[in-house]
Amino acid sequence: MIKNYRTRRTVVNVLIYVLLAFLGLIWIAPLVYLVMHSFRGGAAELATTIIPQEWTFDNYAKVFNPPDPNVVNFPQWFMNTFIIAIFSCIISTLAVLMVSYAFSRLRFKARKPLINVGMILGMFPGFMTMIAIYYLMKAMGLLAMPKVALIICYSAGAGLGYQISKGFFDTIPRALDEAATIDGATRNQIFWKIILPMSKPILVYTVLTSFIGPWTDFILAKIIVGAQGPEHYTVAIGLQKLVGLEYKSQHYREFLAGSVIVAVPITALFLFMQRYYVEGVTAGGVKG
Amino acid sequence: MKYIDYVQLNPFQKIGYNLKNFFVALPSNIVKFFKAIGRFFKKIGLGIGRGVAGYFTRLVKGDWATKLSYLIMGFGHIMKGQIIKGILFLVTEVAFIAFMIFFGWDKIYNLGFFSPDHTIGFNGEDYWVDADGVDFRISHKPPVEHVRADDSMQLLLYGVLTLVIIAVFLVIYFASVKSAYKLEQKVAAGEKVPTFKEELKAFGDEKFHITLLAFPCLTISLFTIMPLIFMILIAFTNYTKSAPFFGWVGLQTFADVFATTGGASKGETFIELTKWTLIWAVCATILNYILGMIVALLINKKGIKLKALWRTMFVITVAVPQFVSLLLMQQMLEGNEFGAINQLLRDLGWLATSDGGAVQYIDFLGNANKWVPRLTVIIVNIWVGIPYTILITSGILMNIPADLYESATIDGAGPVKTFFSITLPYMLFVTTPYLITTFIGNINNFNVIYLLVGEQSSVDLHNAGYTDLLVTWLFRMSTSTGEYNTAAAVGILVFIVCATVSLLTFNLTKSAKNEEEFS
Amino acid sequence: MKKFLALLLAVLMLASVLVACGGGDKKDSGKSDSGKSSDSGDPFNGEDNIKLLVWAPDKAIDLTKELCEEFKKQYSDKTIDITVQVQSESEAATQALNDKDAAADVFGFASDQFNKLMTANALAPIFSPDEIIERNSEKSISAATGADGNLYAYPETDDNGYFLVYDKSVITHTDTIEGILDDCRKAGMKFVMDAGNGYYACVFAFTGGLTLDGLEEDGTQKFNNYNEEEVVDSLEAFATLFHDYKDVFLSSEVAKIPTGMAAKPQIVAAGIDGTWDTVAIQEALGDNYGAAKLPTIKVKGTDKPMISLHGYKLMGVNAVTKFPYASQLLADFLTNEESQIKRAKDLGWGPSNNKAKEDSAVADSPAISAVLAQSDNSVAQVNMSDAFWSPMNTLGNTLWKDKDYSRATIQKNFEKTIASIKGE
Repeated sequence: MIKNYRTRRTVVNVLIYVLLAFLGLIWIAPLVYLVMHSFRGGAAELATTIIPQEWTFDNYAKVFNPPDPNVVNFPQWFMNTFIIAIFSCIISTLAVLMVSYAFSRLRFKARKPLINVGMILGMFPGFMTMIAIYYLMKAMGLLAMPKVALIICYSAGAGLGYQISKGFFDTIPRALDEAATIDGATRNQIFWKIILPMSKPILVYTVLTSFIGPWTDFILAKIIVGAQGPEHYTVAIGLQKLVGLEYKSQHYREFLAGSVIVAVPITALFLFMQRYYVEGVTAGGVKG
Repeated sequence: MKYIDYVQLNPFQKIGYNLKNFFVALPSNIVKFFKAIGRFFKKIGLGIGRGVAGYFTRLVKGDWATKLSYLIMGFGHIMKGQIIKGILFLVTEVAFIAFMIFFGWDKIYNLGFFSPDHTIGFNGEDYWVDADGVDFRISHKPPVEHVRADDSMQLLLYGVLTLVIIAVFLVIYFASVKSAYKLEQKVAAGEKVPTFKEELKAFGDEKFHITLLAFPCLTISLFTIMPLIFMILIAFTNYTKSAPFFGWVGLQTFADVFATTGGASKGETFIELTKWTLIWAVCATILNYILGMIVALLINKKGIKLKALWRTMFVITVAVPQFVSLLLMQQMLEGNEFGAINQLLRDLGWLATSDGGAVQYIDFLGNANKWVPRLTVIIVNIWVGIPYTILITSGILMNIPADLYESATIDGAGPVKTFFSITLPYMLFVTTPYLITTFIGNINNFNVIYLLVGEQSSVDLHNAGYTDLLVTWLFRMSTSTGEYNTAAAVGILVFIVCATVSLLTFNLTKSAKNEEEFS
Repeated sequence: MKKFLALLLAVLMLASVLVACGGGDKKDSGKSDSGKSSDSGDPFNGEDNIKLLVWAPDKAIDLTKELCEEFKKQYSDKTIDITVQVQSESEAATQALNDKDAAADVFGFASDQFNKLMTANALAPIFSPDEIIERNSEKSISAATGADGNLYAYPETDDNGYFLVYDKSVITHTDTIEGILDDCRKAGMKFVMDAGNGYYACVFAFTGGLTLDGLEEDGTQKFNNYNEEEVVDSLEAFATLFHDYKDVFLSSEVAKIPTGMAAKPQIVAAGIDGTWDTVAIQEALGDNYGAAKLPTIKVKGTDKPMISLHGYKLMGVNAVTKFPYASQLLADFLTNEESQIKRAKDLGWGPSNNKAKEDSAVADSPAISAVLAQSDNSVAQVNMSDAFWSPMNTLGNTLWKDKDYSRATIQKNFEKTIASIKGE
């Protein structure tokens, strides 16, 4: 009986292994395909076979050291995005932590209405306002400084993304605050000296998500930077340009190589913060 | 039915019972929903009423300095020793009045006269006039002067900005009046008048929330709320890219969106796309949820090794920017011998061949057929979505009390039955808020559709393809075709759909009740 | 007392926004201070301290910069500051439509955008059009003329179209499509055309005598008085051809042509493509690169030339430029004979200037010769309604994809296409 049970369990487990391996393959196949073809050589720009017939580092060389910087200027795009990401990350993180801390730990009359306003704002489709944002930026004279404009775009509304870190703060026992208050600490001190040091997971999560944002946005960036030359592009719009009609037949592999260069650090960051992400999301997203 | 009776039902009866309850309760829940909305507005009304009442009571009760504060902001503060604060209030008032005289009044005035019949704006048209002041294009004489008409876009934008400034000023005004009265009471009670420094200090402690929220609120109102008001107003104009000028048209845009005149009208398109958006959101949410949970269960099953490896294989796809992974998918799904998936299917011999011997490739994303591309995007979305579900549910799945499973195993329940009778109900209970967020996220799921299918069009629809969701339609109208007013109207409708769905579900679920208790 | 600081900040910030806006306002209503000095003989009409922004596509940026320097030299008595910025032609029109203020003073665009730019009043009318009209080909001038009869843009090229590209080692007869497809079949290679894209698919209907005839007042497309039977004949001929040569004919995006030609083993032997892919195709084929005008197709026993859609690159002056005279002079300079010849030499762009067309740089390039030859068998891509494309996409798709290609079905599809283009 026991033996029978064991065999059955082994068979089931083997089946599960096979299934997981199969599914896992499907899931990483596009990524493997991406990396593989970013090393594809030969005269054909687009893929004609699943496995490349020739291999080369040329695509990466062209991306790092562009032969015609007017067309492809990946290093510049990368720097632009990096600068935008750093600044918007700092501002967004501060905004998110400030808002979520206030909503989670402090009690004041406007709290509930403000939370509701935040929820309502989140239900409007994001693209609806992009035209208005463009004209607002224009009115403020910021279109000539696309980096500043983009930093504002990415970080101005960041405070609305308070839910997850609020959920996290909710899990920190209130007794801590109370004890500190008895010891004479102000709320300002409690925030900086007690709560923040305990919030490493959510801090890391917020920093990384807001840092990644500018690397993946290709819509707002396009609208704000569109009228400027390619030297102001971010990686996302730069790479998007390379798959357009005029460029695809000559620059598609550079698109693939550039994509790998962008994706690898983001993936590394993400895998590193995966634990925090899960903690944050489960705390914030599930309990409301 | 009592609990004891319920427990004795078989699973199907249980589902039936719950479904019946759901539908029986639905009307009363909808009523509750509208009642809640009613209460909400009542609350707002009462609040305003109380505010106004307070405003006048204080005016009557206050001393002469407080009364004068109603006209000259900060007067009461200055008289009672809070000089810096009083001056700040005064400066604000002076600045506001100056602003209104030199700038704001004009903008508000323009806003009122902003109509297609009485148009000020020619949307910034420029023209050249000759020496006689006649348009060069008509006279063909050498142009000498360059004239620019008003731009309706700017008129509207500045009008809205001015309205926002007025609103902000009003809030400051009421706050100053209230604070003047409070100060008077403090003085009357013989309390010490707090100095400016002391008041500033309070922002680090009992008023810390103001310090924390001031900056985010400011940027949010300027860069989120203001543009939103602006776009909502756009829905009531005839603003399109090619319109030489625009103005108020009332509800005409909405009437167009709902008008089904046959053919590829906006109305037909709206109905078709709304249907598809809902189908999509339901399919995408439920499939991703259930399938993701099953995969998570498999990975976390006792006795399965290399858990981290399996999880990483799925989760890694979350990290790759979607504009990379989905554009690549688009290439792989191409409907001819260049598409990797078609190559694979061909090499496996799974593709049909026509009489001439030519391989018939599957056109995964083409808009020639309605359901093939729709099915494709749903499947690709499973690829996108399952890793998120795995990330989020893994932890909770581990927390399901083991005795629940043990008793089920003792009852002889198989894995399928356990899943549907224990895992799923438990997870549904715990993750309802997450599900609602995901559902709304899917209604607004732009990337998957837009990056995968691009801008395809079909004959039956107005500037849209079969796979377009309301949001991608909105996006296409506000970029390529420039039908800004229709786009704004659709945005408002999407908002209404999202708000209704989430309010209804919040009202219907138990966890919503709990949430109310908690907060 | 409560939200005091926050709100003060808010007001200050909003006020600064409005002040910034106010500044913008003043700039907008700028008049040319020159007054009425137009008869002084100064081509700049008194404009000086000129600052211009020029948009040019990335591949043409160096040449445009060079030409702008020459322009400055020619008018060295004026202070002229020209910034040349990269902006693709398709983007240029979109950006100019979205926001005229942010757009360049002088920019190039494709002729299909002309109509949109006109309706949005984004283009300045040309003050002295006579010389421009004289020196450029008639068709290119008509592409730059607005509905009010005024000239609104400077023709820059006559090459925005597609033609036949082929591998000389495989294709021996380029005159008839049947011959080309037979050659492909013999070599076991494909013929690529983006038949599901209205830009190429309109060939099927145009070959049967359909042409564009401007726009109605409300912007709907007008067509000539075509003979429906003849158009359907031509559509039927194409549909039959696609099905007879199912193993050879491939409908796919044009980027597949250079790729398929470069692939090992070679997949594609010929295709219908434009000058934008010339470099890539030359790299793939080397000496075997061939270009010619589109072949003929047998319709009811007679060989009919395929009629394509053919556009122009135009250069326009922004309607809200602060220096209309200087901008027009510059646009004029950038599109004159010498500039066009330089472009033909350096970039392979086919000129619209009548004299430049006869230059050796043009005759030596197979691609330019092919596109200029195709220009004779073409419908001009001007005054096109936005509604034209997606029904044409669908018509193209049904022709090569549908299993049912009986005459009745084709006729029904065609009528549906015309109706939905006209919005009926």
